[in-house]
Amino acid sequence: MNSTPLLGIIVFLPLMGALGALVYRQNERACRLFALTVMLTDLVLVLSLFALNTSPQLAGNWLRVEDFSWMDSLGIRFTLALDGISLLLILLTTALGALAVLVSWREITDHVAAFHFFLLAMLTGILGVFLATDLFLFYLFWEIQAIPMFFLIGIWGHERRIYATVKFALFTISGSLVMLLALLSLHIIHARQTGETTFALLQLMHTSFSLPLELTLFGAFALAFAIKIPLIPLHTWLPDAHTEAPTAGSVILAGLLLKTGVYALLRFAFPLFPAAAQFFSPLLLVLGLTGMFYAGWIALAQEDLKRLVAYSSISHIGLIVVGLSVWNVTALSGSMIQMINHGITTSAMFILIGMLDERLHTRKLSELGGLWKIIPVWSGFFLFFTLASLGLPGLNNFVGEILILVGTFTDRPWAAVAGFIGLLWTVLYGLRMLRKSLWGNADPRPDIADLTNRELTILIPLCIGVLWLGLHPGPALEIIGTALAGLNSGKGLLTLAP
Amino acid sequence: MKPVLFLLISFPLLGALILALIGRHLSRRAVETIACTAVVAAFVLALTAFLLSGQKTQSLTLAQWFSAGSFQVDMDIYYDPLAAMMALMVTFVSSLVHIYSVAYMRREGGYIRYFCFLNLFVFAMLVIVTAGNLVFLYLGWETVGLCSYALIGFWYEKPDAANAGAKAFVVTRLGDVAFGVAIALCWINLGHLSVSGINDSAANLGSQAAGIIGFLLLLAAIGKSAQLPLAVWLPDAMAGPTPVSALIHAATMVTAGVYLLMRFFPVIQGSPIVMALIACVGVMTICFGALAALVQKDIKRILAYSTISQVGYMFLAVGAGDLAGSLFHLISHAFFKSLLFLAAGCVIHALHEEQNIFRMGGLRRKMPQLFWLFLAGTAALGAFPLTAGFFSKDRILLAVFLQPHAIYKVLWAIAAMAAVITPLYAFRLFFVVFFGQPHADRSRASAPAPVSHPSVPNLMTWVLWPLAVLSLFAGFLNLPANWAGNEWLAHYLAMVPGAAPELHASQEMESTTQLGSALITIVMVIFAWIFYGASIQPNECNDETFQKKLQSLFLNGFYLDRFYQTRIITPYRKTAEFLWHKVDAGWVDAALDQSARSFLTLAERLRLWTTGRVSQYVSMMVTGFTLILCSLTVAWWYLQI
Repeated sequence: MNSTPLLGIIVFLPLMGALGALVYRQNERACRLFALTVMLTDLVLVLSLFALNTSPQLAGNWLRVEDFSWMDSLGIRFTLALDGISLLLILLTTALGALAVLVSWREITDHVAAFHFFLLAMLTGILGVFLATDLFLFYLFWEIQAIPMFFLIGIWGHERRIYATVKFALFTISGSLVMLLALLSLHIIHARQTGETTFALLQLMHTSFSLPLELTLFGAFALAFAIKIPLIPLHTWLPDAHTEAPTAGSVILAGLLLKTGVYALLRFAFPLFPAAAQFFSPLLLVLGLTGMFYAGWIALAQEDLKRLVAYSSISHIGLIVVGLSVWNVTALSGSMIQMINHGITTSAMFILIGMLDERLHTRKLSELGGLWKIIPVWSGFFLFFTLASLGLPGLNNFVGEILILVGTFTDRPWAAVAGFIGLLWTVLYGLRMLRKSLWGNADPRPDIADLTNRELTILIPLCIGVLWLGLHPGPALEIIGTALAGLNSGKGLLTLAP
Repeated sequence: MKPVLFLLISFPLLGALILALIGRHLSRRAVETIACTAVVAAFVLALTAFLLSGQKTQSLTLAQWFSAGSFQVDMDIYYDPLAAMMALMVTFVSSLVHIYSVAYMRREGGYIRYFCFLNLFVFAMLVIVTAGNLVFLYLGWETVGLCSYALIGFWYEKPDAANAGAKAFVVTRLGDVAFGVAIALCWINLGHLSVSGINDSAANLGSQAAGIIGFLLLLAAIGKSAQLPLAVWLPDAMAGPTPVSALIHAATMVTAGVYLLMRFFPVIQGSPIVMALIACVGVMTICFGALAALVQKDIKRILAYSTISQVGYMFLAVGAGDLAGSLFHLISHAFFKSLLFLAAGCVIHALHEEQNIFRMGGLRRKMPQLFWLFLAGTAALGAFPLTAGFFSKDRILLAVFLQPHAIYKVLWAIAAMAAVITPLYAFRLFFVVFFGQPHADRSRASAPAPVSHPSVPNLMTWVLWPLAVLSLFAGFLNLPANWAGNEWLAHYLAMVPGAAPELHASQEMESTTQLGSALITIVMVIFAWIFYGASIQPNECNDETFQKKLQSLFLNGFYLDRFYQTRIITPYRKTAEFLWHKVDAGWVDAALDQSARSFLTLAERLRLWTTGRVSQYVSMMVTGFTLILCSLTVAWWYLQI
């Protein structure tokens, strides 16, 4: 409907870059620079969206819709649509994508071109997931985002990479197969009811089901998304994947891939099957809360820093799912802003741990200690981002947490009380992590350099993001609020909770 | 007025930011100057605001913070007489502590981190004091906790210091869970989170809701103010630098809990049960702290337990509905306790980091100036007649006694008895340190060489004089009527929601209680002199007597720490290990791995079917077709519904 297919360009630019990276496979530096340029260009394009569209003019509060015919006989169209939530998420994607290229500058030295090929191809998949509203197209992107990760872990990972990557693949593929079946069934059912063959989200939303059928279909979709999120008890692939992945892989995994699961629940599973969503929302609430405690508890016992942050990630995501399951404006706004917050802080943690690993060749807490004395600047950043993830007011995570919990309190007070208590679990493992790494006595070590300028360039934007969203989240929340009102215009979803 | 209040809280923040960002490129002198200037400027601004505003209440919005749906949070300022007095006290004590720290820290590395967090602390404390919104207040509340954590663990190489910092953070966060729930409840029940809004509509809250919110606020206050049962973090917090103990863990942060209760007094007032509970917590903590202080040997631990006990008086006053009395004691305590801590810092410094009082002794002649300063602080702590502590403590006891309900009479009796112990431990400390001779500790083989010429930088003693004067004379802030006073503080606070200026006590009654407590104090000072004045006895009994057990009970803070360690912390750790190894790896993950493996086995089995016999293939094909047809039928039937 718009003359320039800007969204299409944004989605496919990384893929073009991925192919381009292969061209530079003789020259590593050129390859890195090229990938970085592509991602920065993409970032600028996303930023230009902010300038183009400030307030939605389209029905359903879409900021921009791009619709092209594709396989019309099958009802498959190439439809990308942008609302406030996807706008913020693609901003996060392109920003973290650029940072992922930067963090790999020294870490990745083998098969550099192939690495950047997979990295950028994966970003196209993620961007597509955040923008597609044709279900078939969405499914394609969903698969595209997963496959490169399989190679990233399997080729550039650490010691147990094969085990981790096979585990990741099995989980992901079984999830998406179930989803594919449900998606096709949905398509057929809709075709039978209305006579039109379509995969368009907005049309499929007008399908009516018997309750058991709706529950089955919702369950199939939710299973695929829950594996990605990951909700307990489907989370065990994540700690392994994180521990074995290269830093860039961890950044994309924690910052973006997990978000696609939550986003897909919000964008597809809930609006398509509102009755089933209402039926299952207590289960989601319980799983989210349990995950928050369970993973937070396990994080306390971890020795490997990456594993610790992976479990903390599961714990944080649990709270986001709680907000989603309650489904009122306050809690949903909290969950959405928390996705961005979590993307920033957890990526920053993984980046910092990667920098530490490059220097000390260990991530074991028992072998660390007294780092403040050795690398004070690194330690300052580590303290800062840990405090952000502990929910210190004034930093970003606090805003999301308080919105989720206050929103939850309106409908399910006891769940909110449990959530407030759960925040204590975060503090316990967070402080233990600081105690074992930054404080205490330093082992005598050979001279270790503190952060370089390249590393500061990576971390400072993340710091600004933390402070910006912690102190002035108003504009972001406004964008989210408008988008949520658009979601509401579908089937009156915002009255979901009893 | 807006610029004044804005600058008041932003000066210390600016100082902290400058030190954090470019402190590494500045000279030590520049760092010290920036830190001190920021805080002294804040004091000047607090004074300006106090003089400009009179008894008026100011509400203003500094900035929008965040909002979603109808939930809205702004960075508001609410400045009334209560906030004015607190801001004055906080900036005044902070200024002195900053100046003292320049001398105290002059040989330490890490001074940038120290001053940065100290400045940030002053900012956060001012946010607590002037916040006009519960969530904004929470920002200050958590940030002081962070600064406390970082400064207790200032000497992070020492495991004790690093652990103590984390302990303080966790224990206070325990109370903050309740704070969070209180925020949610206030918003659900009252529809807004502004201080004035909450207090104005507190009357419509109903006693049940008011009781729950009040109880949650009490829990938050208990954590921050180190009251029972969460008092355990404060004695350990003494691992931090002494000026930090003086500022954060005596004068300001630990009284933030009391301030929270005073700030939302109209809510608390709605529930008599919560009022009585606050008073009970106060009284129990008074006894706990006083008894523990009586037998400690470490000078800073004595003062820490004393702080716990004195903050208990402030809780008691709030529980008795006497805001003016609570604030009066809060202010006088801030003066005399920071004086005592800073003076103790001088002593420790002069004796090369010796903290055991029984190894000090006889400092009266070696450090005469400090002797007088310490005496002023001790007298005020011990409520010696006519000092600040005398008037403030007396007002609290009187207010409790005047409460009609019987429970307050009981509480009064216990508090009065505990008040007997205060001068005893205060003067025990004083006599042991400044009279007699140092006593070699048996635990150490060689006694340290006595320091012949203890020296303390002049700056460190100079800043104590204003505090000493205030410790002795701050009683004039609220001189009772029978001393021809006009109770200025109580009347100044009259406009604060929930404050009642008059105690409605007859002059005879006031005189009688004052006379009684004066007599008791003097008697106890004499007692202390008899026990500890002439000859030093580190009263230790070697036999397993009841006395020994009692002493050990007090010395270990009633074994509260051990209780938490064995009942909560160790089980928590073990559960973490259990969940990880047994449940997550051993059960959930193993089950998923197992199902993956069984697919593999299945595939292996399937491979066996490729036998090459045509008859078998045909039968398998038939079975297969049948299965497919059946499932298609089922699916068709299912989709029809």
